[in-house]
Amino acid sequence: MSILIPCPHCGSRPIQEFVYGEIPAVPDTLTDPDARDLDRAFMRANPEGVQAEAWFHLYGCRRWVRLERDTRTDAIQSS
Amino acid sequence: MPELKRLPATRIVATPAALDAAKWPDGTLALRLASDELLVTPPVANPALDDPHAIIIADAGYAGVWLPEAEALAFLERACEWELPVQRPAFAQGAVAGIAAKLWFEAGRVLLIVPAPLIADFEERMA
Amino acid sequence: MNEFMEKKVQFKWHEPKKHYDVVIIGGGGHGLSTAYFLATRHGVTDVAVLERSYIGGGNSGRNTTVIRSNYGIPEAVRFYQRSVELYYQLEAETERWIMHKQKGLLWLAHTEAAVRAEVARAEINTAFGADTEYVTPKQIKEICPEIDLSGGGAWPVIGGSYHPAGSTARHDRVNWALAEGANRRGVHIHQRTAVTGLLMDGDRVTGVETTAGPISAKVVLSAVGGHVTTLAKMAGLRLPIRTHPLQAYVTNHYELTFNPIVASTSLLFYVSQTARGEMLIGAEIDRQPSYSYNSGHHFLQSCSFRAITLLPFLRNLRILRQWTGVCDMSPDYSPIMGKTGVEGFYITTGWGTWGFKAIPAGGEQMAQLIATGQTPEPIAPFSLDRFANDRTLADRGSAGTH
Ligand SMILES: Cc1cc2nc3c(=O)[nH]c(=O)nc-3n(C[C@H](O)[C@H](O)[C@H](O)COP(=O)(O)OP(=O)(O)OC[C@H]3O[C@@H](n4cnc5c(N)ncnc54)[C@H](O)[C@@H]3O)c2cc1C
Ligand SMILES: [Zn+2]
Repeated sequence: MSILIPCPHCGSRPIQEFVYGEIPAVPDTLTDPDARDLDRAFMRANPEGVQAEAWFHLYGCRRWVRLERDTRTDAIQSS
Repeated sequence: MPELKRLPATRIVATPAALDAAKWPDGTLALRLASDELLVTPPVANPALDDPHAIIIADAGYAGVWLPEAEALAFLERACEWELPVQRPAFAQGAVAGIAAKLWFEAGRVLLIVPAPLIADFEERMA
Repeated sequence: MNEFMEKKVQFKWHEPKKHYDVVIIGGGGHGLSTAYFLATRHGVTDVAVLERSYIGGGNSGRNTTVIRSNYGIPEAVRFYQRSVELYYQLEAETERWIMHKQKGLLWLAHTEAAVRAEVARAEINTAFGADTEYVTPKQIKEICPEIDLSGGGAWPVIGGSYHPAGSTARHDRVNWALAEGANRRGVHIHQRTAVTGLLMDGDRVTGVETTAGPISAKVVLSAVGGHVTTLAKMAGLRLPIRTHPLQAYVTNHYELTFNPIVASTSLLFYVSQTARGEMLIGAEIDRQPSYSYNSGHHFLQSCSFRAITLLPFLRNLRILRQWTGVCDMSPDYSPIMGKTGVEGFYITTGWGTWGFKAIPAGGEQMAQLIATGQTPEPIAPFSLDRFANDRTLADRGSAGTH
């Protein structure tokens, strides 16, 4: 069963219609500019749990859909 | 299967309110691609829009074909992994046989629209 | 000897102790191999491997078992070549039948750009000690008669590279051979024991918190596959890792022998035949990061479509089963091995979709690091600090699949 992504304009569509977009998060604790740059370029939160993300509806409205997904189960909660 | 033909259109990007309020000549289809975007066919010259920043361009990138409703549904039910609209008229868009398609449902007939470069691909998948 | 006629695995289970010299988190191939080499090469046997599920329950028991060294950058060719050589000796070394089989690997090119990439692969492999040659369509057809050189009309095969050392081995047997070899020399292996936190003394890691209580250690190694971000966070580390699902599937038996491993970068799939005769097919990771083991029909559909364009006989087979692993993907498609900047805490990760072949050499090198405290030269380029030092090791074309 395909994961369904709820597009507010088009309705629910299979995940293959979308392009995944990460919302990067640099920790507030990083104040050193070099550390921030390194973190932004390479480091990833990669949580085992709920994360905010964006999906581009390539096969439909061609707009970004924001949502929250639990990476342990792929269950989606619209935000 | 009837062939897909070029579908000349006008593409309009404007505020949702301006698109909601706009009026179109009889026989024109105005398909809401997104809250701030319309695909109007046949093309319209100088549409009146309440948005000074509206972007209006001729769009020759699509091809379409009208099919009898029963024939269209027989194909679409096989080719779509998502729920088709039941009310009429209705607009829907999404992957049809793996190709980004736009669908306009009327009582008795359906307009299938695909990107023009994919006409041959789409016809092959319909067959 | 066949699969069912051999000695039973000899194993000794223990109660966890309160202290070990070395605690290895994760009973996948890399954790077990490190324990094996610590015990056999360095006499370090006060070692515990902590596995929260069962040995090989992670990617090391879910992969498509391709073993090869035809990588695209010197550091990787040398490292994987070492691992391939160790695999060829692993049956004699462990005295266990791991069903290692030489098959030869064909990597096909369908575009001029891909031809250039395969020529470059052959050159760089030869220069750094791996055996790979450029092959023409005629040679490809001789090696693998089943290939449709026209690629179904859409993906003509216009060249490729051939890597005779390409081989496979039975993944569970590799895991258990290493586990047993380590265990026989005194290493404790604790299944169903999860690490839930790290014991810290200031900035130093001094042990692990587990579901069986705290265990102190001089050195802690994280070898937890796709779950490494969560583990590293316990030590206050952020890693350049995203965890992505990778799916694979097998068909029913193909009655004839299909010899080689066949891969195509443009079509993004690879195929080999298992010892049972099933055709084993894999492809690229799912686009979105995820820890879920969901597998989907869409993957089967798109992957089969591509595979059939080159190997039309696959069309007549049926799909038997499909499964998923969750892979620790590094941004440059190279592994991350060694020190972390946190005292007492080492990692082996970034094994992504390509780390099964690396199990012997990865374990050998990590064992040397743990035993001596010095990073061995072959894995020095793969250190975590390469990202801060602008020394990334991009090799996507070689590691994107299998
Ligand atoms: C479908 C698929 C096909 C692949 N094909 C190939 C291939 O053809 N060739 C190749 O070279 N590579 C391939 N790979 C990649 C290869 O399988 C992996 O890179 C390799 O197995 C990684 O081994 P590991 O020991 O690092 O991780 P794993 O085998 O995943 O082991 C990690 C272990 O850590 C345990 N763990 C996690 N968290 C904790 C905790 N907190 N406490 C205790 N234990 C924990 C897990 O339960 C797991 O058993 C493939 C992978 C997949 C998924
Ligand atoms: Zn949409």
